[in-house]
Amino acid sequence: METLHQILSLHFLLRNSVYTSVLIGLACPLVGVFLVLRRLVFMGVALPQISSTGVALALCLPMWLGLQVTPQSEHALAFAGSTIFSVAAILILAFLERRGRGLAEGRLGMAYVVAMAISILLLSKNRYAEIGWLDLLKGEIITISDFDLALTAAILAVVLVIFGLFRKELLLVSYDRALAITLGRNVILWDALLYLLIGLMVSMAVLSVGPLIAFGFLLIPALTAHMFAYNMRQLTIFACVLGGIAAFAGFWMAYQWDFPVGPTDVALLGLIYGIAFIVRKVVSMTEAII
Amino acid sequence: MSEAIITFDALTIGYNNQPVLSGISLAITRSSFTAILGANGSGKSTLLKTLLGLQPPLEGNVRVATSGKVSSVFGYVPQAIQLDSLYPLTAFDVALMGVYGRIRPGSFVPSIERSFARECLSAARAQEFANQPFSELSGGQKQRVLIARALATKPDILVLDEPTAGVDAAATRALLEFISQIHQERQLTVLLVTHDLALVRKHAQQVIWLHEGKVLYGTTAQLLSPEHLQEIFETEIS
Repeated sequence: METLHQILSLHFLLRNSVYTSVLIGLACPLVGVFLVLRRLVFMGVALPQISSTGVALALCLPMWLGLQVTPQSEHALAFAGSTIFSVAAILILAFLERRGRGLAEGRLGMAYVVAMAISILLLSKNRYAEIGWLDLLKGEIITISDFDLALTAAILAVVLVIFGLFRKELLLVSYDRALAITLGRNVILWDALLYLLIGLMVSMAVLSVGPLIAFGFLLIPALTAHMFAYNMRQLTIFACVLGGIAAFAGFWMAYQWDFPVGPTDVALLGLIYGIAFIVRKVVSMTEAII
Repeated sequence: MSEAIITFDALTIGYNNQPVLSGISLAITRSSFTAILGANGSGKSTLLKTLLGLQPPLEGNVRVATSGKVSSVFGYVPQAIQLDSLYPLTAFDVALMGVYGRIRPGSFVPSIERSFARECLSAARAQEFANQPFSELSGGQKQRVLIARALATKPDILVLDEPTAGVDAAATRALLEFISQIHQERQLTVLLVTHDLALVRKHAQQVIWLHEGKVLYGTTAQLLSPEHLQEIFETEIS
């Protein structure tokens, strides 16, 4: 309990890391719900990795061009690289999937593994970026400035508000495209907005907590909540609350036992998923017997 | 003579510039009940998609008459199997989507529209399972919910794509009786894609028969006469 008191203290040294983890834990499942329902789970795995390649490339640019950059400019560059790569990747991959040609899983798998290899290659030749960003790739969240926290909160708030406002349009084009067209909705526009929001959320999550936690929180809370939810509202609320609680509990456990935060969060989410799966099976069997 | 609500004008339909049917010219009158018949792969679904604007025609055009000052509204009833069962939606959630066309993006669904969706579920005799998960309903129950959703759009034209596919015989009869009833009560124009000749004979007034790349259009009595059926099926056998 002493550790918990420390973490909750306003003077806790790593408080920004806690707040950022919880924000990402709360917000990522919102996007994850749509990735799961649209059967784009593999995209949820590939996108954060592609996004982190954007970060790695952006961090190498000053070195290649021989420019000196401040930490703020470096952060802005990383954000730009992350966002451009994730939004471009989701638009291209979604377009190819809509055309229905080729093997979508194969494309995503290749994109994932090539992106990971390029990220490591780029960072291995950049001695300044290597230390911090390789930590981030492994899921270590330690140094998050007030500016980073405020930027994360602001962008996540924008994404949440847009999701909240247009949830029925986004649901309609995802669930029944034909109905959306007959009702006069511009499905390309709404799809593009959804992909833009997914790309923005993924890039922000990758930049703040790294790809491991990003795809853990994108997928596992939504998959777990899906086992129990009867409607979209329940699914969204369950997934977001589970993500937020797991993010906090994961940080607490990592701090208590001196583990890296990212892998602890994701392992905890995996454990919760396993327990939920067993509970769901037991409930189903009991209902069948009754 | 009744006014034409849908006119196909020298229409060619198909995918990727490959025509499936060409030279379709016919007019469907307002408040009529038309069945679209044809073997698998004859172009029924392509014709329906072109009519609904889901895919563009390769040549020619589809004209849909306005209803007063506004465009005619389509109430589309897809096959339930086309909707992904992964979405956790109740029957009411699905029916409520029908009212979305009247609500501005970013606005909440007003209570009057929610009540209207419930009325449509009642009209489709689907009120009793309104709060059950849509994915867990039987085939016939799902089709009733989808018809309720189509009614919630306040349609001028009801388009049903094989609504009885995967539905047992008793439920099929009940569904078609219901569709026929709302056609008469609400003076809706109905376009029904089906394979069931007996039901077409009982309920439809006109038939569009897609057969070996040709489009036959006439009254049910003309196209489903024993002589005509013999001619079509003998041709198929030969």
